[in-house]
Amino acid sequence: MRIVLDAERCTGHGRCYALAPEVFDADDDGHCVVRVSGEVPAELTDKARTAVSNCPELALTVVDDA
Amino acid sequence: MSTTARYVHPERRSANPYADEVAADPIPFYDALRDHTPVASMLDLPNTHVISRYEDVKFALQHPEIFSSDLAAVDIGQDRPLLPLQVDPPHHVKYRRVMDPHMSARHFVPLEDEVRGLVGELIDGFAERGTCDVHAELTVPLPCTVFLQLCDLPGDALDQMLEWKDGIIRPQLRHPEAHDPAVAAQIRRRTALAIYEFFGEVIAERRARPGDDLFSRFANGEIDGERMTDEQMLDMGFLFLLGGLDTVTSTLDCSLAFLGRNPERRDELVADPSRIPAAVEELLRVHTPVMQVLRVVRQHHEMHGVRLEPGDTVMVMIGAADTDPDEFGDTAGDVDFDRPVNRHLAFGGGPHRCLGSHLARFELRIALEELHRRLPDYHVPEGAELRYSPGIREIAELPLEFTPRPRRSP
Repeated sequence: MRIVLDAERCTGHGRCYALAPEVFDADDDGHCVVRVSGEVPAELTDKARTAVSNCPELALTVVDDA
Repeated sequence: MSTTARYVHPERRSANPYADEVAADPIPFYDALRDHTPVASMLDLPNTHVISRYEDVKFALQHPEIFSSDLAAVDIGQDRPLLPLQVDPPHHVKYRRVMDPHMSARHFVPLEDEVRGLVGELIDGFAERGTCDVHAELTVPLPCTVFLQLCDLPGDALDQMLEWKDGIIRPQLRHPEAHDPAVAAQIRRRTALAIYEFFGEVIAERRARPGDDLFSRFANGEIDGERMTDEQMLDMGFLFLLGGLDTVTSTLDCSLAFLGRNPERRDELVADPSRIPAAVEELLRVHTPVMQVLRVVRQHHEMHGVRLEPGDTVMVMIGAADTDPDEFGDTAGDVDFDRPVNRHLAFGGGPHRCLGSHLARFELRIALEELHRRLPDYHVPEGAELRYSPGIREIAELPLEFTPRPRRSP
């Protein structure tokens, strides 16, 4: 699975990097940065999905390539 | 007719968000709004609309070109728009770029010990007594003291700051005659002038002798390639005073009132403090301390068959959105620290999302951690009647009882 960020929608709620700091980080303005490039490691997929589904702006999407 | 008839009138398409019982127990009001009249007038006033469903509230917050947050939305005696709240995109982002880096989650990490020490000191003030008014003794002084520290202002300015924020937000608290709206407007105006004067002097001083405080940092900010003006800094300071103090107080009040009356939920946090961040989000959602925000319509828009016209006032009922079963399921009204999906809008949403949200979360988490660690059996005494203020849900007096504990060793 991969994560796609729509940076236009992100307004910096910060739920993603609070819930899954291994997968997401904040830039200087507190907006989302996806730390993992490409496939999310298997041990982090559950955490990543929880974080994605908690974005109030729906700025994050999970893409399953399988 | 049910009790909801006192505050929601579907046949007249009218709602009264200021009814006495609403602030204390808003969920039945929210349910009635969403179910029966998703676009209601406010107190039958023409050209006003109360919107309440999650999708509608989120749409309004995400579309400031239709639902503007500019000066016309809220008049509290200010000379100019509060920055950045009362400036819409595209100019809005220029201010956020200056301010956001100093208000990000990362920015507060180094302050953890200092704020924990401050909370500890406040708890020391009542720990041995076995009883307290946690509103007056913790939830009011905490955010105000943090604000003073961030701005490098002396601690003895505390009472002055509290008087000013109450003078703007709830003038009737210290001035009973302010139940007359004209008197309230005079008090707000007088208070606003005093705030401008005070922060004007602070800004001049920080320009002359910059430090590491928020004003000194903002002083170096650039808007359109120009250094931030004194007026722009004043307009940020004004908003900080209003936004930074009352909201954390009311969130802690609502949270502690709930936990202090639901010992099994309190015990969950005592047993496992790592659940406190999730609890903060869930308590923000269900109790949404800032019940609503105001917007002004800028473009014709239709919602549920009601035409919204330019110039109309819209009350965006965030608390109703945050308890909407269409978004949060059948248990929307229940506090569940394990709720897997919680896209609450207690900090708003869209471009005007609360600038201070990360500071608020930081203060709320530390306050709850320390209180549950040190006074694990705190509770609201049986029979206590809690008075919630409407709009921003502070509790005038919030008594807690607990087993007396020693102060921290020096």
